[in-house]
Amino acid sequence: MESQESLLKELSNHVVDMAEEEAVETAKRYIDGGFDAYEGIDQGLAVGMERAGQLYEEEEYYIPELLMCSDAMYAGMDILTPHLKADESKDRHKVVMGVVEGDTHDIGKNLVKIMLETAGFEVVDLGRDVPPEDFVSKAMEIGAEIIGLSTLMTTTMENMERVVQLLAEKGQSQIRVMVGGGPISSGFARKIGAHYSRNASRAVELAKSLVGEVIPC
Amino acid sequence: MPTLIPTKERLTPKDRLTLALQGKTVDRPPCICPGGMMNMIVESVMDRTKSPWPEAHSDSRLMADLAAGMYEGGGFENYGVPFCMTVEAESMGAPVSMGSRTHEPRVTDYPIDAVSRWIELRDIDVTTGRAKVVIEAIRHLGKKNPEVPIIANLTGPISLATSLIEPVLFFKALHKKPEEAHELLEHVTKNLIAFGKAQLEAGAQLLTISDPSGTGEILGPRMFARFALPYLNAIVRELNDFAKAGTIIHICGRLKGIYQELNLLGCDALSFDAITDVRQVAEHVTGKVLMGNVSTFALENSGPEKITALCKSCLAHGVDILSPACGIGPRTPFENIQAMVNAAKKGEKKEGANKEGT
Repeated sequence: MESQESLLKELSNHVVDMAEEEAVETAKRYIDGGFDAYEGIDQGLAVGMERAGQLYEEEEYYIPELLMCSDAMYAGMDILTPHLKADESKDRHKVVMGVVEGDTHDIGKNLVKIMLETAGFEVVDLGRDVPPEDFVSKAMEIGAEIIGLSTLMTTTMENMERVVQLLAEKGQSQIRVMVGGGPISSGFARKIGAHYSRNASRAVELAKSLVGEVIPC
Repeated sequence: MPTLIPTKERLTPKDRLTLALQGKTVDRPPCICPGGMMNMIVESVMDRTKSPWPEAHSDSRLMADLAAGMYEGGGFENYGVPFCMTVEAESMGAPVSMGSRTHEPRVTDYPIDAVSRWIELRDIDVTTGRAKVVIEAIRHLGKKNPEVPIIANLTGPISLATSLIEPVLFFKALHKKPEEAHELLEHVTKNLIAFGKAQLEAGAQLLTISDPSGTGEILGPRMFARFALPYLNAIVRELNDFAKAGTIIHICGRLKGIYQELNLLGCDALSFDAITDVRQVAEHVTGKVLMGNVSTFALENSGPEKITALCKSCLAHGVDILSPACGIGPRTPFENIQAMVNAAKKGEKKEGANKEGT
């Protein structure tokens, strides 16, 4: 019989190796072995995705590779998630995210979503070309702590500022705003009252620190 | 021996740009903004020429007047159309929103959902739709000031492909279905060559290809070499004889990591983003005229003094052709563009560029 430790390692490796079918197959063996589903995700698949993120930081992996890794991770999660105990799927920090109105380039946003989900955040993705009002109303509706905004075009950056303003107008400034994308800088983020991350793996660190600030643990 | 320019002879903007692209000696650097994804249009020019967005994207007369208005007002030293990167995608079947006075047109949906379905895409027909508008606009521009170079613009193969299929699906297909991804790129490239040729035959003298989604930062060096480089070079190879004044390729994002691959590009000039340091490009890329890279964010949000300083720094660090680092936002103040042109006018005479050095 295989040990949990070796199966966790295998799950992690399949994600790094972009091996979707193998991730599914190992996830099944893991469940058949009677091991805890949450640990399979947290200490197996998510560890693999974090390693992939690290390889991306090191410029060993690029976007096509990260997307392949995330497919393997999600395929493994599809097997493990139905076996989670009820209380393990609740009370996650919520993030609303999307590409601001005027822009339809969403690859960066998709990567941030993957990395945030890997890190245990619940992400509601509003997609591309999203009006500022929609971010605010969705965040208020679901009780999100963070709104994540992305754009690759300078012409649409003002819509990021608009989201921050709308939150203030509605007395919702406790909802933090994260911004990113090609033309965005930390200076711009500071100017509009938002927080900046340079890439998808940094976005996770930023999100973690933001929810740490807002909710005393 | 660099060619000496007789002091009395005045170079036209077209002569100057042509010489600069050939790596020859010029009296001072040209200052251009090509068009296409590298949009050159600002609101004040829309007002002056009474040719506003979004109407000017779909009307050849308005498009030509708007493009010409930039130089006529003392701005960039070229004409360039269109003002967006959606003409090719729309002609091949993607629905496009024309945007507004201050927002570029954008693709709103993807006509295919698998790389293998490239066969279902329409071919670009230059006798209809906005492809025809662009061709006619170039013909109108040909009747304006003959001293001003007209630039034909193409969206790069990867950027066009990812306007026709969801980018996530496309980028995964590079691993999962490389053969079919190549077929899609071949098909897209064939169409780009046809559209580019039509623009050049209509009277444009040079060609710019902008590939914001086909960057080293997104693809990495291996995938860039396999899926971007060959198709960019195929376009340059096929259109070189038609682009009499030369060819420019614009690559967004950080270039570090793909310098080796950039050296293999067949174009005359390499244009790049503000995020990339001119000195590093000059050090690592040989045999190319360098074009760039004044921050479009600074152009839109700062003043002439700051722009003058940025231009000086670009030129001092090795840029041969002064230009914005990407397409400019339509709210960019005209005096900032004039600051760029003035900086180029005060620029020093440039001896034959690093292009000859290979």
